[in-house]
Amino acid sequence: MSDVLEQTELIESTVLDSPWVTIVWNDPVNLMNYVSWVFRSYFGFSRAEANVRMLQVHHDGRSVVATGSREEMERHVEAMHDFGLWATLAKAGE
Amino acid sequence: MKAFRRSRHQFVAVFDPDEAGTLSILASQVIALLDDRGSHDSDPALLRLLPDAYPDDAEASAEFRRFTADDLASRKASNARRIVADLATAAGASSATTVKVDAQAAEAWLRSLTDIRLTIAARLGIETDDDLGSGDSALVDLYDWLGFVQGSLVDCLDR
Repeated sequence: MSDVLEQTELIESTVLDSPWVTIVWNDPVNLMNYVSWVFRSYFGFSRAEANVRMLQVHHDGRSVVATGSREEMERHVEAMHDFGLWATLAKAGE
Repeated sequence: MKAFRRSRHQFVAVFDPDEAGTLSILASQVIALLDDRGSHDSDPALLRLLPDAYPDDAEASAEFRRFTADDLASRKASNARRIVADLATAAGASSATTVKVDAQAAEAWLRSLTDIRLTIAARLGIETDDDLGSGDSALVDLYDWLGFVQGSLVDCLDR
Protein backbone atom coordinates (compact mmCIF):
# COMPACT_ATOMS: atom_id res chain seq x y z
CA MET A 1 0.00 0.00 0.00
CA SER A 2 2.75 2.42 0.95
CA ASP A 3 4.56 1.56 -2.31
CA VAL A 4 1.52 2.50 -4.30
CA LEU A 5 1.18 5.72 -2.34
CA GLU A 6 4.84 6.61 -2.92
CA GLN A 7 4.53 5.84 -6.60
CA THR A 8 1.44 8.00 -6.85
CA GLU A 9 3.23 10.83 -5.09
CA LEU A 10 6.19 10.46 -7.43
CA ILE A 11 3.95 10.60 -10.49
CA GLU A 12 2.07 13.58 -9.08
CA SER A 13 5.25 15.47 -8.28
CA THR A 14 6.62 14.75 -11.76
CA VAL A 15 3.42 16.06 -13.29
CA LEU A 16 3.37 19.10 -11.02
CA ASP A 17 7.07 19.89 -11.49
CA SER A 18 6.76 20.19 -15.22
CA PRO A 19 6.37 21.78 -17.59
CA TRP A 20 6.95 25.49 -17.67
CA VAL A 21 6.10 27.73 -20.60
CA THR A 22 7.63 30.81 -22.23
CA ILE A 23 5.00 33.40 -23.11
CA VAL A 24 5.56 36.31 -25.51
CA TRP A 25 3.14 39.19 -24.96
CA ASN A 26 1.84 41.76 -27.42
CA ASP A 27 3.34 45.21 -27.18
CA PRO A 28 2.69 48.30 -29.31
CA VAL A 29 6.35 48.82 -30.21
CA ASN A 30 7.70 45.69 -31.81
CA LEU A 31 7.14 45.43 -35.55
CA MET A 32 5.30 42.38 -36.86
CA ASN A 33 8.10 41.45 -39.28
CA TYR A 34 10.67 41.78 -36.47
CA VAL A 35 8.73 39.48 -34.10
CA SER A 36 8.34 36.93 -36.88
CA TRP A 37 12.08 37.16 -37.67
CA VAL A 38 12.98 36.67 -33.97
CA PHE A 39 10.80 33.56 -33.79
CA ARG A 40 12.45 32.13 -36.90
CA SER A 41 16.02 32.99 -36.04
CA TYR A 42 15.92 32.07 -32.34
CA PHE A 43 13.43 29.18 -32.10
CA GLY A 44 14.07 27.88 -35.61
CA PHE A 45 10.37 28.01 -36.53
CA SER A 46 9.44 27.74 -40.19
CA ARG A 47 8.28 30.97 -41.81
CA ALA A 48 4.64 29.77 -41.63
CA GLU A 49 4.91 28.73 -37.97
CA ALA A 50 6.64 31.99 -37.01
CA ASN A 51 3.91 34.00 -38.72
CA VAL A 52 1.15 32.03 -36.94
CA ARG A 53 2.80 32.68 -33.56
CA MET A 54 3.41 36.34 -34.38
CA LEU A 55 -0.23 36.84 -35.40
CA GLN A 56 -1.33 35.03 -32.24
CA VAL A 57 0.70 37.54 -30.19
CA HIS A 58 -0.77 40.41 -32.17
CA HIS A 59 -4.43 39.32 -32.09
CA ASP A 60 -4.72 37.29 -28.87
CA GLY A 61 -2.27 39.37 -26.87
CA ARG A 62 0.08 36.45 -26.16
CA SER A 63 1.52 33.22 -27.48
CA VAL A 64 3.17 30.28 -25.76
CA VAL A 65 6.35 29.84 -27.78
CA ALA A 66 8.12 27.10 -25.79
CA THR A 67 7.47 24.43 -23.16
CA GLY A 68 10.01 22.67 -20.96
CA SER A 69 11.96 22.88 -17.72
CA ARG A 70 12.04 26.06 -15.68
CA GLU A 71 15.77 26.57 -16.35
CA GLU A 72 15.26 26.17 -20.08
CA MET A 73 12.35 28.63 -20.07
CA GLU A 74 14.43 31.16 -18.11
CA ARG A 75 17.07 30.96 -20.84
CA HIS A 76 14.41 31.58 -23.51
CA VAL A 77 12.95 34.52 -21.58
CA GLU A 78 16.40 36.08 -21.21
CA ALA A 79 16.98 35.61 -24.96
CA MET A 80 13.62 37.28 -25.74
CA HIS A 81 14.56 40.22 -23.48
CA ASP A 82 17.81 40.40 -25.43
CA PHE A 83 15.71 40.92 -28.59
CA GLY A 84 13.50 43.44 -26.76
CA LEU A 85 10.42 41.23 -26.80
CA TRP A 86 8.17 41.21 -23.73
CA ALA A 87 8.42 37.63 -22.47
CA THR A 88 7.60 35.93 -19.18
CA LEU A 89 7.56 32.38 -17.88
CA ALA A 90 4.93 30.49 -15.91
CA LYS A 91 3.96 26.99 -14.95
CA ALA A 92 1.96 25.41 -17.75
CA GLY A 93 -1.79 25.73 -17.26
CA GLU A 94 -1.59 28.77 -14.98
CA MET B 1 17.47 58.50 -45.52
CA LYS B 2 17.27 55.71 -48.03
CA ALA B 3 15.98 52.40 -46.68
CA PHE B 4 18.30 49.46 -46.09
CA ARG B 5 18.82 47.20 -49.06
CA ARG B 6 20.83 44.05 -49.43
CA SER B 7 24.11 44.15 -51.31
CA ARG B 8 25.73 40.72 -51.38
CA HIS B 9 26.50 39.91 -47.72
CA GLN B 10 25.97 43.42 -46.50
CA PHE B 11 23.08 45.74 -45.75
CA VAL B 12 23.39 49.22 -47.11
CA ALA B 13 21.51 52.42 -46.29
CA VAL B 14 22.12 56.10 -46.94
CA PHE B 15 21.97 58.47 -43.96
CA ASP B 16 22.01 62.26 -43.91
CA PRO B 17 24.52 63.61 -41.37
CA ASP B 18 21.78 64.81 -39.01
CA GLU B 19 19.96 61.48 -39.21
CA ALA B 20 23.15 59.56 -38.43
CA GLY B 21 23.97 62.01 -35.63
CA THR B 22 20.49 61.72 -34.10
CA LEU B 23 20.46 57.92 -34.17
CA SER B 24 23.94 57.88 -32.70
CA ILE B 25 22.88 60.16 -29.83
CA LEU B 26 19.81 58.00 -29.15
CA ALA B 27 21.98 54.88 -29.00
CA SER B 28 24.34 56.67 -26.58
CA GLN B 29 21.37 57.67 -24.41
CA VAL B 30 20.30 54.02 -24.12
CA ILE B 31 23.85 53.14 -23.04
CA ALA B 32 23.76 55.89 -20.40
CA LEU B 33 20.34 54.76 -19.17
CA LEU B 34 21.56 51.18 -18.79
CA ASP B 35 24.83 52.24 -17.14
CA ASP B 36 22.93 54.30 -14.60
CA ARG B 37 20.10 51.82 -14.08
CA GLY B 38 20.79 51.41 -10.34
CA SER B 39 19.47 54.89 -9.65
CA HIS B 40 16.44 54.65 -11.97
CA ASP B 41 15.04 51.21 -11.24
CA SER B 42 11.41 52.38 -11.45
CA ASP B 43 11.94 54.10 -14.82
CA PRO B 44 9.27 52.68 -17.19
CA ALA B 45 11.81 52.54 -20.03
CA LEU B 46 14.18 50.39 -17.95
CA LEU B 47 11.30 48.20 -16.84
CA ARG B 48 10.60 47.58 -20.51
CA LEU B 49 14.25 46.96 -21.42
CA LEU B 50 14.64 44.55 -18.48
CA PRO B 51 11.08 43.39 -17.78
CA ASP B 52 9.79 41.18 -14.98
CA ALA B 53 10.19 37.53 -15.95
CA TYR B 54 7.55 36.41 -13.43
CA PRO B 55 4.65 38.89 -13.62
CA ASP B 56 2.91 37.50 -10.53
CA ASP B 57 5.97 36.80 -8.42
CA ALA B 58 8.03 39.84 -7.43
CA GLU B 59 10.56 37.74 -5.53
CA ALA B 60 11.25 35.38 -8.45
CA SER B 61 11.43 38.37 -10.82
CA ALA B 62 13.98 40.06 -8.57
CA GLU B 63 16.04 36.89 -8.45
CA PHE B 64 15.87 36.48 -12.25
CA ARG B 65 16.97 40.09 -12.62
CA ARG B 66 19.84 39.57 -10.20
CA PHE B 67 21.17 36.74 -12.37
CA THR B 68 20.50 38.17 -15.84
CA ALA B 69 20.30 42.00 -15.77
CA ASP B 70 24.04 42.72 -15.77
CA ASP B 71 24.68 40.49 -18.79
CA LEU B 72 21.58 41.71 -20.63
CA ALA B 73 22.48 45.36 -19.97
CA SER B 74 26.05 44.83 -21.15
CA ARG B 75 24.90 43.09 -24.36
CA LYS B 76 22.39 45.89 -25.00
CA ALA B 77 25.10 48.50 -24.45
CA SER B 78 27.41 46.63 -26.78
CA ASN B 79 24.70 46.53 -29.48
CA ALA B 80 24.18 50.28 -29.10
CA ARG B 81 27.93 50.91 -29.38
CA ARG B 82 27.88 48.99 -32.68
CA ILE B 83 25.37 51.53 -34.06
CA VAL B 84 27.43 54.47 -32.79
CA ALA B 85 30.59 53.03 -34.39
CA ASP B 86 28.91 52.19 -37.71
CA LEU B 87 27.41 55.71 -37.95
CA ALA B 88 30.52 57.66 -36.92
CA THR B 89 31.63 58.49 -40.46
CA ALA B 90 28.12 59.38 -41.70
CA ALA B 91 27.43 61.54 -38.62
CA GLY B 92 30.60 63.56 -39.22
CA ALA B 93 30.17 63.88 -42.99
CA SER B 94 28.98 66.99 -44.80
CA SER B 95 26.56 65.14 -47.08
CA ALA B 96 24.48 61.95 -47.21
CA THR B 97 26.70 58.92 -46.69
CA THR B 98 26.33 55.23 -47.42
CA VAL B 99 26.43 53.08 -44.29
CA LYS B 100 27.32 49.40 -44.66
CA VAL B 101 26.33 46.88 -42.03
CA ASP B 102 27.42 43.23 -42.14
CA ALA B 103 25.15 40.35 -41.09
CA GLN B 104 26.48 40.14 -37.54
CA ALA B 105 26.26 43.89 -37.01
CA ALA B 106 22.72 43.84 -38.44
CA GLU B 107 21.65 41.62 -35.54
CA ALA B 108 23.08 44.17 -33.10
CA TRP B 109 21.37 47.00 -34.99
CA LEU B 110 17.96 45.30 -34.90
CA ARG B 111 18.20 44.63 -31.16
CA SER B 112 19.39 48.12 -30.37
CA LEU B 113 16.83 49.83 -32.64
CA THR B 114 14.24 47.89 -30.63
CA ASP B 115 15.73 49.11 -27.35
CA ILE B 116 15.76 52.70 -28.61
CA ARG B 117 12.14 52.46 -29.79
CA LEU B 118 11.06 50.84 -26.50
CA THR B 119 12.70 53.71 -24.60
CA ILE B 120 11.05 56.41 -26.73
CA ALA B 121 7.66 54.63 -26.53
CA ALA B 122 7.94 54.65 -22.73
CA ARG B 123 8.68 58.40 -22.84
CA LEU B 124 5.70 58.99 -25.16
CA GLY B 125 3.39 56.84 -23.03
CA ILE B 126 2.69 54.41 -25.87
CA GLU B 127 1.24 51.40 -24.04
CA THR B 128 -1.34 49.86 -26.38
CA ASP B 129 -1.63 49.31 -30.14
CA ASP B 130 -4.06 52.25 -30.31
CA ASP B 131 -1.73 54.76 -28.64
CA LEU B 132 -0.17 57.13 -31.16
CA GLY B 133 1.96 58.95 -28.62
CA SER B 134 1.08 62.29 -27.16
CA GLY B 135 2.99 65.47 -26.56
CA ASP B 136 6.24 65.93 -28.38
CA SER B 137 5.42 65.66 -32.10
CA ALA B 138 9.11 65.74 -33.06
CA LEU B 139 9.67 62.69 -30.85
CA VAL B 140 6.65 60.94 -32.42
CA ASP B 141 8.13 61.61 -35.88
CA LEU B 142 11.49 60.27 -34.71
CA TYR B 143 9.81 57.16 -33.31
CA ASP B 144 8.04 56.55 -36.64
CA TRP B 145 11.27 57.10 -38.57
CA LEU B 146 13.11 54.56 -36.37
CA GLY B 147 10.33 52.08 -37.13
CA PHE B 148 10.95 52.67 -40.84
CA VAL B 149 14.73 52.15 -40.44
CA GLN B 150 14.25 48.96 -38.44
CA GLY B 151 11.49 47.61 -40.69
CA SER B 152 13.62 48.04 -43.78
CA LEU B 153 16.54 46.22 -42.14
CA VAL B 154 14.29 43.32 -41.04
CA ASP B 155 12.96 43.05 -44.59
CA CYS B 156 16.53 42.71 -45.90
CA LEU B 157 17.42 40.01 -43.38
CA ASP B 158 14.17 38.12 -43.57
CA ARG B 159 14.28 36.88 -47.10
